[in-house]
Amino acid sequence: MIAAEKVPMSTDKSNPSNNSFSLSLDTWAVIAALLLALAVKLDILKNVSW
Amino acid sequence: MASATSLPRVESDNRLLNTLSVVPGVLLLAAIGYAAKMLERSINTYAKVHHWIFPNIEYVLWAILIGLVISNTLAIPKIFQAGIATYEFWLKLGIVLLGARFILADVLKLGGISLALVVIEITLSLALMTFLGKLFKLKPKLISLLAIGSAVCGVSAIIAAKGAIDADDEDSSFAIAAILALGALSLFTFPAIAHSLHMNDTAYGLWAGLGVDNTAEATAAGALYSDAAGKVAVLAKTARNAMIGFVVLGYAIYWAGRGQAETVSNKAAFLWRKFPKFILGFLLISVLVSFHTFSKDQVASLGNLSKWAFLLTFAGVGLQTNFRRMSKQGLRPFIVGALGEVLIACLTLGLVVSANWIWGL
Repeated sequence: MIAAEKVPMSTDKSNPSNNSFSLSLDTWAVIAALLLALAVKLDILKNVSW
Repeated sequence: MASATSLPRVESDNRLLNTLSVVPGVLLLAAIGYAAKMLERSINTYAKVHHWIFPNIEYVLWAILIGLVISNTLAIPKIFQAGIATYEFWLKLGIVLLGARFILADVLKLGGISLALVVIEITLSLALMTFLGKLFKLKPKLISLLAIGSAVCGVSAIIAAKGAIDADDEDSSFAIAAILALGALSLFTFPAIAHSLHMNDTAYGLWAGLGVDNTAEATAAGALYSDAAGKVAVLAKTARNAMIGFVVLGYAIYWAGRGQAETVSNKAAFLWRKFPKFILGFLLISVLVSFHTFSKDQVASLGNLSKWAFLLTFAGVGLQTNFRRMSKQGLRPFIVGALGEVLIACLTLGLVVSANWIWGL
């Protein structure tokens, strides 16, 4: 086992693991963004204003 | 006695509770973000109607200020903590969606320039922070953490390096506190300096991305100047984040060679584990937009979704900054960090001015 694995995953902000689903925060962010992009593409989310 | 069949139900209940526990904090982030947006609009309108000369304070600054006031004057109830911590998620979601506002050619051009500047910045920052750390007789591993934090990407890099070089909890807390305190200061100093130098959006964005350490603060510092500068700051910071694995690997090998950290057996796996995956998402969205997968309106919607995600991030940056807690970490690492950051800010400013002169940013 390499040393990096000693870091408690809950404190690792760069790649924290979500215990429930074993995916990192980065991966969840990418999945959420792709789902939003899909919703926009399918016109489920339309004309999001700012 | 809990039977084996009841375990999945307990797990699923825990998942539900974990998910629900973030709701109050996320609502607080949203409320602060929305209040900031309303404040920007109403104060600007009021000033215009009454012919006041009032500086245009953007929602970014209002969100950070409201968060700062709350976190430094009130004790935030525990029920909000889990949700406030999600600001990192909103930041990364915002960055991935921001890919919609970059055509691949822009990413390659600006990203290429950023990457070249990042390599110079990282080399000089590591050397500078190591020199200052030794000058102030800080502990060797604290020097490594401060050097990594200021050269690459702030808190994430320090946490990633902590395990790899077997550093103490205390050292990483020192380094994180110094980086966060200086990041908070840069929110106010970077835009002010850039305005006095009349920097253009691209040059300033590059400077904020190279000079501000933590990704959330770099994004905010860019957005505080202008929307266009915010975009460039995120791109430059993302190029810097991409180097995290290489720098941490270098330090892990260095400390393993001295028998003070475990040996890295599989370097490729190590690099992949440390690589920030949201960068791939950012590139993917940019590729999709470049190949006209989305209509013009849809691209605008994705860009606006990115802004909403950043709004929650900026509220979180303010709420997570507690000066009293930071001051408890001691003065020496802060002095080394501050000295190093000022010099790195000057150095990166010089790099950006040179790049502007050579490439005409």
